[in-house]
Amino acid sequence: MATRIALFIPCFVDQITPQVGLDTARVLERVGCSVYFPSEQTCCGQPAFNTGHWDDARPLAERFVRVFADAETVVCPSGSCTAMVRNFYPELLASSPLRQDAIELGRRVFELSEFLVKVANVTDVEASFPHRVTFHDSCHALRELGIRNEPRELLKNVRGLELVEMPASEECCGFGGMFAVKFGAISASMGDSKAENVAATGAEYVASIDGSCLMHIEGVLRRRKDAARTIHLASVLAQEIQ
Amino acid sequence: MRSSAAAEFLRKAAEKAADVAHRQTIRRNISSYDLSVGRGKLRFSDWEEARRRCAEIKWEAINHLDKYLLEFEQKVQARGGHVFWASNAEEARQYIEDLVTSRGVKLVVKAKSMVTEEIHLASALERRGVEVLETDLGEFIVQLRKEPPYHIVTPAMHLSRADISRLFREKLEGVTSDEPEELVAAARRALRKAFFAADVGITGANFLVADAGMIALTTNEGNARLCTALPRIHVAVAGIEKVIPRLADLALLWPTLATAGTGQHLTTYNTLIGGPRQPGEQDGPEEFHVILLDNGRTELLADPEQRDVLHCIRCGACLNACPVYRTVGGHTYATTYPGPIGSVLTPHLRGLEGWQHLSYASSLCGNCTSVCPVRIDLHHHLLHNRRNAVEKTRHGWLENVSFRAWRWTMMSSARFGFAGRVGRFAVRFVNKLGLSGTIIDPMRTWTRHRSLPEVPRESFRQLWRKRHGQR
Amino acid sequence: MGSAETHNQSREAVLARIRAALKAQAVRPEPATHSPVFPPVGKDLLATFHAACAANLMELVVTRSWDETAGALRAALTSVPTGEVFVEDAPELRQSVDSLETPVRWSSKGIPQENAVATITGCEALVAATGTILVASERGGRGGSVVAPCHIVVARESQLVPDLEAAFAHLRAESIAERNSFVGFITGCSRTADIEKIIVIGAHGPRRVVVILQMDS
Repeated sequence: MATRIALFIPCFVDQITPQVGLDTARVLERVGCSVYFPSEQTCCGQPAFNTGHWDDARPLAERFVRVFADAETVVCPSGSCTAMVRNFYPELLASSPLRQDAIELGRRVFELSEFLVKVANVTDVEASFPHRVTFHDSCHALRELGIRNEPRELLKNVRGLELVEMPASEECCGFGGMFAVKFGAISASMGDSKAENVAATGAEYVASIDGSCLMHIEGVLRRRKDAARTIHLASVLAQEIQ
Repeated sequence: MRSSAAAEFLRKAAEKAADVAHRQTIRRNISSYDLSVGRGKLRFSDWEEARRRCAEIKWEAINHLDKYLLEFEQKVQARGGHVFWASNAEEARQYIEDLVTSRGVKLVVKAKSMVTEEIHLASALERRGVEVLETDLGEFIVQLRKEPPYHIVTPAMHLSRADISRLFREKLEGVTSDEPEELVAAARRALRKAFFAADVGITGANFLVADAGMIALTTNEGNARLCTALPRIHVAVAGIEKVIPRLADLALLWPTLATAGTGQHLTTYNTLIGGPRQPGEQDGPEEFHVILLDNGRTELLADPEQRDVLHCIRCGACLNACPVYRTVGGHTYATTYPGPIGSVLTPHLRGLEGWQHLSYASSLCGNCTSVCPVRIDLHHHLLHNRRNAVEKTRHGWLENVSFRAWRWTMMSSARFGFAGRVGRFAVRFVNKLGLSGTIIDPMRTWTRHRSLPEVPRESFRQLWRKRHGQR
Repeated sequence: MGSAETHNQSREAVLARIRAALKAQAVRPEPATHSPVFPPVGKDLLATFHAACAANLMELVVTRSWDETAGALRAALTSVPTGEVFVEDAPELRQSVDSLETPVRWSSKGIPQENAVATITGCEALVAATGTILVASERGGRGGSVVAPCHIVVARESQLVPDLEAAFAHLRAESIAERNSFVGFITGCSRTADIEKIIVIGAHGPRRVVVILQMDS
C-alpha cells in the first residue's frame, strides 16, 4: 500500500505527550504506510480561535495550509485539531487567498481512527492490550467529525482487550481548552461526573482519540485517587502482539 | 477586566459546582426528560427531516419578518383585536400599565411567558397595586418563593416535593403531605378562584400565526385556556420573532416543540386565539391586546451570521443537553434565558460588554446544537460571540497581549521548539521543588482542580529528529 | 383603546429596523427533502384513535345509535358528583341530553359556573393518530371544554380525521378559524409534571375526558 503520510502532531502532543505521536507513527507504519513529519509545523491555531482571537489564529492557519500544501495525506491523533482544519479553516480563512487551499487540505486531513477505518480500510492493526478499557467520545470528534464507530471497531480487534461502554460516554469531559482554566470549578465538576462514569465500568483504562480530554480526565482521576488511568487510542494500537 | 455579572457568575458557579445534592436533583430530572424524549422521537419516522423542515419554516418567517408581522397585525385588527408594537421593555410595560389603570384592574392571572419575565412585567404591575398570580404550577411555586424561574419549561426543576410541600404548608390551605397529587390539588383550589375573579389574563405566545391572525399557546395544565376564557381582558405579549407563516405549519411545529420540550407528542392544550369574543360567541374576553416586542431582536436580525438565533421556539432542549447547565443550574446565569440559548442571546439583548462571559462559560461540546429542533448553530454562535467580544469590546488586555505573544512564538517552529523546552523545564523545576500549586506555579490555575500531567524531558520533534534525522 | 394605534410610534420604528436588517442576506439552511416525517396512519381510524385515547388516558365509548349515545352519557354522568352540568346548545346534544333526568345548564343561557362538575360539548373533529379533540368557540364557548373537572365530547364517526395535517386541512375547508376567535386542540387530560417530573393528572383543566363516538351507519 505504502501511502505516504504526513504526520500532523498537535502542539500539546508534541510538548506534553510525545509518546502519542511516536505511537501514531508506529501504527501507521505497521499497516504499511510510510510516514514523515513536516517539522515546520507548529500549531493549527485552535487555542486562539476558540477564545475569539481570530486575528491571531488566522496567520497560523495560513501558515499551516502552506506547511502541508504538498502533503497527499495528513493524519492527526486528535479529533479537535482535525476538526479545526476541516470544519473551521474555511470560516476562519473566508477572506484569505488561501481559502480554497484550506478547503482542499481539509479533505486530505484525517484523524487517526477515521484514516485507518475509512481510508486505509483497516480495522485490525494487530495490536495486543489485555485490559478492560472504556472509551470516551471527545466532543469535536463526535459532533464535528461524526467519529463514533471507528475507534470502537479498532479497539474490538485488539487482542485481549475487553471493551466496556460507560454511561454517558458522549457527555463532555469538561476540558474545553481555556474553559478548563477560566471556569475551573465547572470544568472540575464535569470531570468528576466523567470520572464517576469511568469508575462505574470497573475499567483499568479510559481511552480516547483526544489527548486534551485525556489530560484533563487523568488529572481528575489522580486527584480523586481513582484506579483507572487514561490512554490514547494510538498508544493502545501501538502495543504489539508479543 | 471582568464585568460584575461575570464575577457573580463565577462565584455562583463555583458554589453550585460543589453542591452535590443540587447536581443529583438536576441530573435525575434531566434523565427523566431524556427517557421521555427518546420515546417521543420514535413517534417520528424521520426526526432529522422534521428538524430540517422546522428550520426552513422559521427561516422563511424570520427572513420575511415584516411581511408576516403585517399580515398577522391586519388579521388580528380585523377581528377587533389591538396590536401594539413595543421597541423595548419599558414601552411594553407602559402600555400594559396604562391599560390596567384605565380599566380599574385589580387582579391579573398569568400563564407562563418568558417574555414577560424579560420585561419584568409582574413586578411593574404589582408596584401599581395590581395583584398578579402566576397560574402555571412551576411559576406559581417560584413566585411563592420570590425567586425567578430556574428553567424555561420546568420553572421549579430545582425543588423536591418536600421543598414544595413545606412551601405550600406555609402559604396555602389543606396541605398535609408531600404527595404530588395533594400539592397539585392545593394549587388548583387556590388558583381556581383567581381565574374566575381576575380582570385580566396575560399570556405569552408560542407562535404568532400570520395567515390566520391568531396566537398559538402550548400548555399541559389548562391554565392558559382559563386565562384566555374567563377574564374580560386578554393581553398577549410576544417577541416579534415568534411569527410563523401558516396555520398548517403547526402540524409539524407543535409535535416538534412538544417532543423537544417534554418528550410528549402533543401537549394537552394547543390553543389558537384570534381576537376578543366575536358577535354570536358565548364567552371570551371583551378585549384582546397583542404586544409585539422588539427589545434588541431587530439588532440580532441585522446580524446575518447569527440571525438564526431568532428561530428559537423556546423548547428548553438545549438547557437539558448542556453539561454546564446541568452543573450550575438555571439561576446561576442570572438572565431571563439561561443555558446555551441564553448564553448566545443575552449579549444581543443586554450588551456584549457585560454578558460575554456566558459565551466563554462553555466547553463548546456542541450537544446543544445537536438537539435543537430548529437546528440553530448554537455552539458556533458562542464562538462568534467570543470573536465579537475580542474584536469589539474592552476585552482583557492581558489576554490580548498574551495571544499576540503566543502567535509570534508559534509562527516559527524554532521559536515554538525553544519556548516548549523552556516551558517544560520551568514546570519540571517547580514540581521538583515541591512548589506545584503555589503562587509561583505557572500551572496553578490547572492544579487547583486537577493533578498535572508528567511533563517530559523531550518533545516529539526532538525525539523524531533523534530517530529520523531532519525528515 | 383604539387610540393606542395612533400613539404607537414604535410601530414604524420597529418595521423600519426590520426592513433595514433584512437587507443583509442570511444563508439558507440545508434543504429539507419533504419526505414524510411521521409514520403512515393505519386505515382503521377508529382503532388508531382508540389506541391513542388509551395512551392519553381519555375514555372512549363507541355507540351505534342516539339511544346508545344517550345511555353512554347517562353512564358517564353517574360517577360525576351532583352539581351543574353545562351543555353546548346544539341539536345533536339536545337530542341526547333531553332524555336524561339530570338538570343541565345550556350554553345559550350563560357560561359555565365556577362549581360546574361536568361539561358536554360536540367537537369540530377528532384526530386519530394523536388522540386529539378539536373544539372551537362554537362548541360551548371557550370555557365549555376546560372549566369543569369532567369534559364529555359527543362526536360522530365521520368526524374522525387521520392526523394533524388532515385536521388543519379540515380547519381550512370549513373556515373554522375564520369563524371562531378560539380554536382548541385537546390531547388528553389536564396534567402537570412540575413536581419532580412526576405526572399528576388534573391540574387546572379536566382530569377526566370522555369521548362518546357514535358510528355512522
